[in-house]
This record gives sequence, structure tokens and C-alpha cells, in this order.
Amino acid sequence: MSTIARTGSKARVGPRARGRFAAPHLGLGLGLLAAVSACQDTGPARATLSVTEILADADTVGFARADRPRVFEFPADHGPHPEFRHEWWYYTGNLRARDGRAFGFQLTFFRNALRPGASSVESDWATNQAFMAHFALTDVVAGRFFAFERFDRGAVGLAGARAEPFQVHVSDWVVESVWDHEAGRPVPPVRLRAAQDGVVLDLVLESAKPPVLQGDEGLSQKGPEPGNASYYYSLTRLAARGAVAVQDEPVEVEGWAWLDREWGTSALGPELEGWDWFSIQLDDLTELMVYRLRRHDGETDPLSRGSFVHADGTTVGLGADDLVLVATGRWRSPRGGTYPSAWLLQVPRLDLELRVQPVLADQEVDLSFRYWEGAVTVTGRRGAEPVAGHGYVELTGYAEADLAAGGSDSSSSSPSTGRPRNRTAR
Amino acid sequence: MTLLRRASVRHLWVHRWQTGLAILGVGLGVAVVLAVDLAVSSARVGFTLSAETVAGRSTHRAEAGPAGLDDGAYRRLRSVAGVTAAAPVVEGEVVARGPGGPAVLRVLGVDPFAEAPFRRYSGDRDDRRHASVLIGDRTTLLTSSTAAVLALDGGDWLGVEVAGRRDSVRVAGLLDPADEASRLGLENLLVMDVGTAQAVLGRRGLDRVDLILESDAAVADAAAALGPGGTIVVAGAAAGALQDMTRAFDLNLRALSMLALIFGVFLIYNSVTFSVVQRRRLLGTLRALGASRRQVFGLVLGEAAILGLVGAALGLILGLALGSGLLRLVTRTIEDLYFVVTVRELVISPATLAAAAALGIVGTLAAAAPPAFEAAMTEPRAALLRSELEAGLRRRLPLLSLAGLTLAAVGMLVLVVATGVETSFVGLFGVILGAALLTPQVTVLLMRLLRPAAGAVLGVLGRMAASGVAASMSRTGPAIATLTVAVAVTIGIGIMIGSFRRSLVDWLDITLSADVYISAVRPAGALTSTLDLRAVAVLGDDPAVAEVRRYREVTVPTPAGPVDLMGISIDSRLRDHFTFLDGDVAELWEPFVEGSVLLVSEPFAHHRRTQVGDTLTLQTERGPESLPIAGVFRDYGSDRGLVMISYSGYRERWDDPTVTTMALILEPGADRDEVINRLQAATAGIQPLNIRSNHRLAEVSLSVFDQTFAITQVLRFLALIVAFVGVLSALMALQFERVRELGVLRANGLTPGQVWTMVASQTGIMGLAAGMMALPLGLGLGVLMIEFVNRRSFGWSIDMSAPPDLILQAMALALTAALLAGLYPAWRMARTSPAEALRGE
Amino acid sequence: MIELAGLTKAYVDAGGERVVFRDLDLWAADGEIVVLLGPSGSGKTTLLNLVSGIDLPTAGAVRVGGVALTALNERERTLFRRDQIGFVFQFFNLIPTLTVEENLLLPLELSGRDTAAARRRALSLLAEVGLVDRAGEYPDRLSGGEQQRVAVVRALSHDPAVVLADEPTGNLDRDTGRSILALLERLARGAGKTLLIVTHSEEAVSMADRVLVLRDGKLSTP
Repeated sequence: MSTIARTGSKARVGPRARGRFAAPHLGLGLGLLAAVSACQDTGPARATLSVTEILADADTVGFARADRPRVFEFPADHGPHPEFRHEWWYYTGNLRARDGRAFGFQLTFFRNALRPGASSVESDWATNQAFMAHFALTDVVAGRFFAFERFDRGAVGLAGARAEPFQVHVSDWVVESVWDHEAGRPVPPVRLRAAQDGVVLDLVLESAKPPVLQGDEGLSQKGPEPGNASYYYSLTRLAARGAVAVQDEPVEVEGWAWLDREWGTSALGPELEGWDWFSIQLDDLTELMVYRLRRHDGETDPLSRGSFVHADGTTVGLGADDLVLVATGRWRSPRGGTYPSAWLLQVPRLDLELRVQPVLADQEVDLSFRYWEGAVTVTGRRGAEPVAGHGYVELTGYAEADLAAGGSDSSSSSPSTGRPRNRTAR
Repeated sequence: MTLLRRASVRHLWVHRWQTGLAILGVGLGVAVVLAVDLAVSSARVGFTLSAETVAGRSTHRAEAGPAGLDDGAYRRLRSVAGVTAAAPVVEGEVVARGPGGPAVLRVLGVDPFAEAPFRRYSGDRDDRRHASVLIGDRTTLLTSSTAAVLALDGGDWLGVEVAGRRDSVRVAGLLDPADEASRLGLENLLVMDVGTAQAVLGRRGLDRVDLILESDAAVADAAAALGPGGTIVVAGAAAGALQDMTRAFDLNLRALSMLALIFGVFLIYNSVTFSVVQRRRLLGTLRALGASRRQVFGLVLGEAAILGLVGAALGLILGLALGSGLLRLVTRTIEDLYFVVTVRELVISPATLAAAAALGIVGTLAAAAPPAFEAAMTEPRAALLRSELEAGLRRRLPLLSLAGLTLAAVGMLVLVVATGVETSFVGLFGVILGAALLTPQVTVLLMRLLRPAAGAVLGVLGRMAASGVAASMSRTGPAIATLTVAVAVTIGIGIMIGSFRRSLVDWLDITLSADVYISAVRPAGALTSTLDLRAVAVLGDDPAVAEVRRYREVTVPTPAGPVDLMGISIDSRLRDHFTFLDGDVAELWEPFVEGSVLLVSEPFAHHRRTQVGDTLTLQTERGPESLPIAGVFRDYGSDRGLVMISYSGYRERWDDPTVTTMALILEPGADRDEVINRLQAATAGIQPLNIRSNHRLAEVSLSVFDQTFAITQVLRFLALIVAFVGVLSALMALQFERVRELGVLRANGLTPGQVWTMVASQTGIMGLAAGMMALPLGLGLGVLMIEFVNRRSFGWSIDMSAPPDLILQAMALALTAALLAGLYPAWRMARTSPAEALRGE
Repeated sequence: MIELAGLTKAYVDAGGERVVFRDLDLWAADGEIVVLLGPSGSGKTTLLNLVSGIDLPTAGAVRVGGVALTALNERERTLFRRDQIGFVFQFFNLIPTLTVEENLLLPLELSGRDTAAARRRALSLLAEVGLVDRAGEYPDRLSGGEQQRVAVVRALSHDPAVVLADEPTGNLDRDTGRSILALLERLARGAGKTLLIVTHSEEAVSMADRVLVLRDGKLSTP
């Protein structure tokens, strides 16, 4: 999904941070942005900073804006767009081993420009491009969830992204084109590798469908103002094959993965609380993407969107009116906040009705930003036919209760949940 | 309060002059000890905290030689399996120019993303934000207090200058450290992104990579990833090594301060003994009235405890005041000789205060114990004749002398046998105390000699004065001993410093062989500075320059810790300017010029216990290399010791074109001053340089030397003041005790002027005796300090020289101190009417 | 009661052994006033020191109130002296840093009898010698006679069995000396103390129950 979401009002990044920015698809950009302004703020803490202030701020000045549709060119657009403030490569997927074990994974790379243009500092280390990566793995049968985080600068080989041959990496967490020895050149399948604390993911992903342009021909509006938008495309059906290890011998896995790509210089409107994002891959080789932007009043924002991809790759765009999303379960985070935990998702226009169920209730990512991002199973019907499938759901703006109670800085001490829960160590 | 206690407090009050002087003596002693302790430990804490702050919580560090690690080393280290965490560091010193004036600050260049496991700056969450304001921008963070010194606020631009290069950085934020230790550690630090630090310092590569390693296997893997040029060392070792450097210096200061306290304790002994003798009849009465020995002992010791407590309290106040003054001197000296210390204020710990106070009180009680015991043993008779007391003392004199001889002999033995600096001081103190115990016996002998002389000059009054000194040995003994030791120590330190200076002058004469020396202007307090290579080129191009020598001084890792290595251009003329203490001078030059052997300085050989024929393993860029040591040369440049290699030998092993110092030999007939002016003008636009003639450089070196010993002189002076107070107190006691005697003499026709003469001649005779004894003792102490203490502390051999004027000065000092101390008692005596004097107590 | 039997005292110094007296016997009953005369250096003060336990004899026995002092150690003798002996010295020996009243209380405090009753007794004695209005003053403000009156009161303030006076009038003019002796006699007799006075004074002889002369190491009656 997409969208720079900025929700609520509570400072989150630090005691003196002015704004709270919910993370995942969106977070790093504004999270660090908040830090920029906060660090110079030696005066008394201010709890809120409106998006208009941010937008009016110099923060967008000097950056390119997604203010008109564009012609996407591949493979160039797989690579970075440093003239925009933020960008991400968001890989999620569901995997299955031969022995029946099931895994969900998330490997996400965020690029954030700390300031526009190239750094004026004369040093190989100097760069305005900062990278963050999140790596999470759900071991469904064992009921375990791991999440790790890394930060690095886009210089001296520590982190970076390029189009050809494709590579994006933060230290040794990497996604890159597979080198075809016969052809003597990189080829489209990408290899995805990440490992930490014995949790290892090593997959080769090959796209079965062409890129899907989300929103209006790839322009995804985040607010009514022109330019407050991003460019957004997805690879909705990536055949995944490889190995997973969870503090043990690696096991061979295969399954389906999904890539969301987005870049822009945008912010989430002040009226928005957060969002619920669904990527669903059905057994009939169709895919559904839905994001619902939630307003503070609990209503669905009209900018919410979705898309349905037929087995042949043709796409149906869905507006807010096309979507019915009802939460049917609740999960209370031990770290504070209550999340919806099961849904009934209906798209009357397509005669689609799906029940979405997390494979594990607690797939809350508790790192620099706290959000829920987890594997789900899907059952339902499309027309008269029963369908089933897997997917990934991202929920933001729910971890708020504890923030309200705990003031500014709460996530540094999350209570132990009695299951392995890994934070970044590097 | 019991009546006994009340009586004793009133006694202290009645004799408040005496009491006051005793308190002052203890107070000064405690103050000097405390001040030195505070200054030394504050400098040390300052250094340790900043060392810990910059070292962070690392277990190891990867480092390389002068060129540093390449940028990629960090990435390679991170990919090693056992490396739990790694953080790149670039460090350096800059002259920062804020509105508040210039200051030398330390740049700490880091990768904010890698810092969390290592260093804390503000809160956890605050630290995370540093990435966004530091990476890629010309920005820095600094503590509010450092910013206040520079008169800076967030958002301001700060000028920074390194080796003549000017740059500026913006204050992106002020650090607000969570605790006091972090605050001190971050003082005077400019925290920057590693890239910005490289740009500001005008360099590439990393100084080190801090590491948290899980296992020895990880150490080996990390070393492998680093390649041949780098090494993995245990973190903290470097800080420890730096601390070791100042250990001998600290110890010397502490020993001097102890001397002041010992004088203070002498004073207490003096004063308590006096009060006991003065009250013999009273104590006898008390015993007759039924006071037990324990009660009398307690009475006297209680009085001493009051003196000790009040003195210690006074000492704490004085010490805190004195400490800030000494801190400046100590840090200045440490910076001149060793490294930059970032400390502006005293670090006062209750433990330090308590220790100083306890030292004063325990010292006082120990000093008071013998007279208190004597008081307790007083027979409960109403009166005991003073002559009996003196007779008893004279009987014990041989015993005292024997004890003194034994103590001095043991002290000598310890000095000779000892290897450590501490034990050397123990031995030296033994000699000093032993000598002090010998002084009464020698005084008696001297008085026999002086009596006829005094009689010849001053008649009966002179004879009375001389015999009075010997007859009142219980009074005069400690006073003379204190004065003797104080003057002797003054002579000894004077000889040590004088000889040292003399040796340095000789050495500079021999060593400074070139005509002109050039170094970069080293900002006050900065450790190193290097020449801009453009300047190096310009300097060598001058037509008057016949020959150019380059020196490169770097710190190089070895298996036994870092060593200072100097690459030196060598030619035939330079060879005569080395004084070798070891090694075959005829054979060593050839291989040295080839770069296949090393020369080491005398302190290096001393500290590392190496000699000619040993090898030293240097971590070169090609990997570790063992080179033999071919000679040991005399060098007063560094007490850490220096290893020399030929410049070409250095360049072969290190790809480092930097030059630390240049020496120019001019064409015959060239006007040195003219050339210097020309060079100065030619390099003005490039870098501020010190371009000095060899004479000027010698002068500068000597002024640094004098500055370095300023603290020693101050301490010497303080010890002398305490000794003076002791003598004053003893003389006052003596003269007041003789009130009746003088009263009788006055009644029998002695004029006030004659009283003056008599008192003055007596104190003068005491001063003379002290001076006469101090002279040989001082010379001896000088020899001991040069041969043992200084050598063990710093590893320098010094040629002893005792200037005659110093000896005269010492005599004059002893006489003046004694006469000054006699002034007030003489005045009081002369003023007292005979009737009042005769009435007695 | 004082009993001295076969008492010998000799000093050893540079000139060899010097015998002060040899084989001397003396007996004084409770309440008896004994005056001891003798030329300077005859050993009178030494004898007093032996009676008070300040000094020990070379040979012989000293019993005071039935206690054999020669069998006691230094500490026990100090405790004995504290309780049983009162001293009057030639040079008064008041503690200069204590007031008159404090000087009187000192023996009480030392012997642990610093009770309110004892204090009252001391003050009433002071009143008896006419110095109660000087109680708060330091001794150096008092004349010699006044100081010695205080000393007499001090010697009696802790109610000792025996009072020893060493030349109590030696430092006073004749009239004052006489009044001090009278005071001593009055107080001693009034309280039934044994009083041993060493003196040159002829006046003392008149008030004595018994007069002894110490000469050449021998006691004799005049």
C-alpha cells in the first residue's frame, strides 16, 4: 500500500518529537523527518504538528512530487527514485514446507531522503539517503513470531538500491537479480536473503504477472492536495521458492509472495487515524488489494482504494464505495492497544465475499515503530465458487491506547510475552 | 563535658596562638594533600570519562597504523559472524571558533545508526534521531555546557580549523546527557557523522572500528577480515596505557603533597609535646588528685583530636580552594607532556574528602600519641623539674639516633633494591625520616661547636642562646628537624630540577643540529598536528635551503601496546647529534639508514625493559614486522619513550606521506632570520606554522620544561610554608616557656634590645644548625631523587649538578625562616614587663 | 588511720644509691593531727608521697585505713587516692583553666561522687571559708591565701579519710598561713579526718596532737 500516514497526535519518536508517525509502508520517511525538526526544537515539547505544517514546511521543498500520472518504465522503475523523499520495496508472502510447516514473511526496505539533493559533505560516507529494513518471520505451526530491524546509510556499501542489475540492500539483507551464468547477465528472478539470530530467509522470487499500477494509473492520492500522492505499483503474484530456517536446520519452502513498490513526497491527511491494508492471493490465481484509510471518527475515508487482479493479469480498480470491511474479531496487544483480528471483506461489484483470519494473533512488529503486520488465511466465495487463499494484512494506528496512557515514550519497554520476540540487535 | 575536658578546651583557648598554628599546620598539610589528590584525580576522571565515552561499551577495537583503516573495513567487520556490533570512529582535534572564543575540541565522528550498542548521548530515543540530523550534513552535536563556553545555540554555525584548514559546521542540537558521568565524558566533544568528521579533519578512512565480539574465534575472524594492516585490540587497553603514562607523574605529585602533611604532623607533635611539658605540674596535680593514667592520656589525645578535627576541616576548605588552582597546573602539565584532558572543574568525591580528612586526623593522633603517653606516665608528683625532662631526653638521644640511622639505612636499602616508583618513594621517605631523627644528636654536637663562636660574637648572650638550644632539646629538636627536612627537600628538589634542566640544555645543544625547525601551530592542548603537504613543498623549495629533513611521528600498535614511532630523515651530519647509551655506534648507522633496525630512546628502553639486540614487532601496513633494536639514545623529548626508524624505512612500511616536523639545513652564509621570515610569508596562506631557529626552539623547549615543573615548585613552596609554620610554632612555644627565665634576666637588667638579641640569636642559631644539616641531606636527597626516583618514574638519566648559589639560597632560606619565626616571640618577650613574666602562669 | 612500718626509701641515680630514710615507723590514729617537721631535703615530701600511694617505698609497708598500699598496683592506688586522700600543696596547684567551683568539683568527678549532695557540701565548705562569691572566678584572680583556702576545701570536698598537707603555709605570709592552718584544723577536726602536715611553721605545732621530726632519715619527737 502506500500513503504516508500520520495519525493522531501523540509524540512517538521521542520525548521531544512533535508528531507521531505510524510506521510500516510509510513510517521511516516521516519518522525521521519528525526527528529532524524535533532535534532542533529546544523549546518545550509540542504534542502535535499538523500535516499542513509539515507540508508547508521546507520538508517537501526541493523534492520531486507525485503530482501527475507518469509512464512507468521497467526495469528502471524497480530501482530507486532519490529525487522523492521516500520510497519502499515491500516484500511479503506465505510459504509452506513439505512437512506441513507454514511461514509468513515480511522483508521491507525503506529509503528516506534526509534532505533533498546530494550531500555537500566531501566524504565517501556523506549521503542524504538513509535506509531502514524490517525483517519478520511467522512460524505458524510453532506459533512463533520474529521481527528485526536495521538502519544504514546509502553509502560506502552499507545500504543502497539500484535498478540494473537490480539490487536493494541494507547491510547483508538483500534483494537482487539472480545472475544468469549462461546469459552472462542478471535476469528478472530476484533472490531475497535476510538472516538474523538464526532466523534465515533465502528465496528466489519470479513474477507470474506484469506489474499492477495502483490508484489512478499508478498515481495514488494520499490527500486532496495535488502532489500529496505517491507512485504505486505492485507485483501481486511472485512465485517463491527457497529455504527458511528458524534457529534450526533450514527447510525447503515454496509459496507466493507480493511486492509493493511506492515512492513519493507525501503525508497522510490530519483527519486520518491509520489504515488497514490487505494483500490477498486466492487459489484461483486472482489477487485482491485493499486499503482502508480510517478517519478519527471511525469512518472510512473516501480516498480508500482497492484493486482486483484477474488470473490473466487484467485489473479492476476499486473505490471506497466498492468495499465493505467488517471486523469480526479483536485482539488486545500485550504492548497496548486493541487491533481488529478477523474480518469479513466484501466486494459486491465482483460478488466477492471473504473471511480473513490471522494465522497467529500476535504478529505485532515492535521495533522503532509499532504496527501489526502478519500472515492471514482467507476463505470465502467468488460468485458461487468457494475460494481460499493466503494474504498479508497491515494495521496501523491501533497501538495508540498505550501511547495516550504512557505519554511520549512507551515502546522501549514492551512486556515479555513469553514467546520469542526478537528485536534488532545490530 | 567533663571538667577535665573543659579544662583542656580552655587550655587550648588560653594558648590560642599555639593552638591556631597547630591547626593551621594540619590544615595546610591536609589541604595540600587534598588539593593534589583532587587535581590529579579530577584530571584522571576527566580523561577516563572521555576515554570511556569515546570507547563506549566496546569489547575490542580494530585499528591500524597512521593511515587508519580503510572505509570498507567497517563493512567487512560487520559481515563477520561473531561480531555482535561494530561502529566506525573518526577522531581528531579541531580549534573551534565560536562567539565565546576559540577552544580546542575533540571531534568524535560516528555512524549514528551504529552507535546504540556503544555510546549514549542523550536518551535512547533522542539518540535515534541523531541519524537524521548528522548523516550527510555539515552538522555537529555538543553538550549544552560546551555550547555555553563557545556561546553557541542550536542552529548556529561554528568555525572549525584543522591544520590550517578552515571549515564550519552547524550546531544541529544540544546534547542533554542523562547523567553526570556522561555529561563529563561528552564535555569538549563535537559529535559528528563520520563523513562530516572526515571532511572537517580533511582525511579519509577510519581511526578505528569499535567492536563487541562474542568469542576469541570472533577476534580471529575479525582480524582476518581486517587484513594485514590492521589489528584487533582489547578495548580499554589503550585508555589504560594512557593512564599508565601519567602514573609516575601523579605519584610524584602525591609524594610531594605527603611531605607537606608530614610537616604538618611534625607540627602537631611539636605542639602537643609542648603543651604536655608546659603542663607537667598540672598533670602531676591531676594525677595526685586521682586522675588515672588513662584519663590523662585521653585528655592529651582528646586535645590533639580537637586540633586534628578542626585542622582537617580547615584543610578541606583550603584544599578545595587550592585544588582548583592546582587543577589548572596539573592539566596544563599533563597536556604539555601527555594528552588532552577535558576537565574544567574539580570532581569531588566524598571518599576523597574523607580520605584526606582521615589522613589529617590519624596523622595528628599518631603524632600526639607519644607525648600523650609521656603525659600519662607523669608521676603524680606536684612538680618535676624541666631539667629532668631534658636529661631524660638526652639519655634517649643515642636511642633516637640509632633509630634514625636504622630507618635511613633501611630506606636506602629499599631505594636501591626497589624497582617500582611507589617503593622508591617509601625508601626516600625512610631516608628523610631517619635523617630527621638524627638531627637532635647532630644539633647537640653542632651547639658545642657553635657555642664558642656565638660567645665570641655575642658574648654571654650568645653562649646562653647556643646552650639554650641544646638544653631545650625537647622543644628545639622537632623544630630544627622540621626546618632541616624542609630545607633539605627544597635543596634536593632544586638540585633535581636544576640538574634535569642542565641535562636538557646540553641535550638540546647536541640534538638541535639543523638550522630551522618547522611544525604546525599546535592549538593549546591538542596532541598532534601535521604539516600541510603544500607547505612542505613550499618550504623545501626555498633557495637558501641546502637540505631538508622530514620527521613523522605516529603511534603504532605492537603486541605489547602502542608505541610512539618516529620516522626520521638521516644524514651524516645528524649522526653526531645522538648520544648513545647502548649499542655499537660504529655499526648501527648503516642498517638504520637502510631501515632494517630501530633505535629506541632511554625511557623506552627503561619502561619496556628492552636493550640492544631485542626485537620489536611493529604493526605495519604490510602486517606485523619484527625489527631489531640497534641502539639506545639519550632523549628528553618524551617520558613514554620513542622508537626511531629511518624516514625511508617508515615510508616503505606505511603509505603515509604526512610530515609532523621538518628541519632545514641552510646554505652556508644564509641569513637565518631572513630565511625564516621568507618561509613564514610563503606559507602564510597555507597553514599557520611555527618556524623557528634551533636557538629559539631550545628556548621554547626550556620554557615548556619550566612550565612543567611549575606545579612541583608550587608544592615545594607549600611544603616549605607548612614547615615554616612548624618552626614558628616551636619557637613561640620555646620562648613563651622561657617567660620566667627571661623575666628574671629582665629583672636583673637585661634590656628589651638585649632580649631581642638573645631570642633572635637563638632562633638564628637554630636556623644555622638546620641549614648546616640540610645541606648534606639536601645534596643526598638530590642524588637519590635523580638516581632512583626520577629514573624509575620517567626513565631519564640526568647528570647531577649542584649550583653553589642553590646551596647559599638554602642556607639563607633556613636562616631567614628561623629568624622570621623568631620575630613575633622576640617582640612579645621584649614587650613583656619583667613583673608580669615573673608572676608566671 | 595511717600505719607505716619498716619504711625504707632509696633513690638510685648517677651518684649511686641515696637513702632518704631507712626502717621508719609511724602510726597516726583516725582524727589525729600529726605535724611533721624537718629540714629541707630530709624526705618529708617523699614520706607524704608514700602515704598517698603516689610513690612506693623501697622496703616496708604502708597501710592507710587498713589498706596496704604496697600491695596495690598503680591503678588501684590511683583509685584509692581518689577516694581516701585529700591534698594541700605548697603552691596551691589549682587547675588554672577551671573556675574555683570547678576545681572543687574535680575530685568529686574523678572519684565518681559528683552528686548534688556532694556539690552542696563543697559549696557549703566554700561558704565556710568565705569564698562562695568567688566560685565562678579563675584561680589567678585570687590571692595566695584565697587560693590556698580553695585548695583546702578541694582537699576535703570529696570527704577523704586522710588529708595530706605539704608546706601549706610555705608560700603565704605569716598571718595568712596561720589562718590556713586554723582552717585546716577546724575542718579536719570537725570532720574527724586524719591530718598529716609537713611544715616549717611553728604555728602548726601548737595545733598538733603529735609532733614528729624527720632528720637524717630518722623520726623522732622534738
